[in-house]
Amino acid sequence: MIKKITPLIFLLSTSYAWAVNSPITGTVQASCSIVTTTPGQYGVPNIWKLSTTPSEGGQPAVIKTTIGTADKYRVTITHPNSFSSSPSLSDTIAWTGSSVYTSGSASGMSAYNGAKVVVGNQTTFNMTLAGTTFFTVASTATYGYNRAFPSGSYTAQIVAECIAK
Amino acid sequence: MYRQVVLMFMLLGFQAQAHEMTPAYPKFGYSHIQGVSVTKMLLWNRRDDTSYYQIGVFSGDWKEIPFASTSKLIKVKHTKKYPFEVYIRNSDLERVTYICTSSKSFKGEGRRTIITSKICSKVK
Repeated sequence: MIKKITPLIFLLSTSYAWAVNSPITGTVQASCSIVTTTPGQYGVPNIWKLSTTPSEGGQPAVIKTTIGTADKYRVTITHPNSFSSSPSLSDTIAWTGSSVYTSGSASGMSAYNGAKVVVGNQTTFNMTLAGTTFFTVASTATYGYNRAFPSGSYTAQIVAECIAK
Repeated sequence: MYRQVVLMFMLLGFQAQAHEMTPAYPKFGYSHIQGVSVTKMLLWNRRDDTSYYQIGVFSGDWKEIPFASTSKLIKVKHTKKYPFEVYIRNSDLERVTYICTSSKSFKGEGRRTIITSKICSKVK
């Protein structure tokens, strides 16, 4: 009797398990990540000038952002207008710079440059599309009136911000 | 095949330098302290050039709002996730708009630019 009932119970319990609904659920949250792809490097085309322009021996910074959900974030990039560390400088420095959209994972992202808002040294991009975006940040510092930069280390800070809307 | 492998390594390399924080839209709830609300955040440090992040809480016009957390300057090792709580007085809840983390960099050497990353979530 037991020999007949036991397999029957197992069979029934197995078929019962097949009938159970097992939905797979997940939640996608809006997210932004800032990737410091290439830290910039200043070249010294003249003794009074530091520049990230490649033709002047420099390397502009490249920042990548990945936006998980469209139209949830703004990206603000601030190019330098002072050195965060340098030797003692007695004269004024003229700063120039730019933050430019260079490439992205969606074709519509090419409109970011036309729609960007520049206030002083801050450039704001409205991230209306989800995906990956590359920005190039250039910076140039010119010292006094053709005065030579003192020898030493020069570091300037770029701030990349991702702010939820 | 070779190109795909190179592309994969490039993408992995890029991802190894990321700063990420969730949720984008945190909500405050009751805490175990009377008159104080709390929310939970998660910071993910994939930047190998920084280990320190500063937490900040701001109003809509970017004025600092007092808050409490385990520490305002946190150390997060490369590739590690760091969950943290932000405590706010209930009287400040109406003003709280942004919770931000920003990377802190060392002085550095040579002639270069350093990139400070800052991510702000919005309290709705």
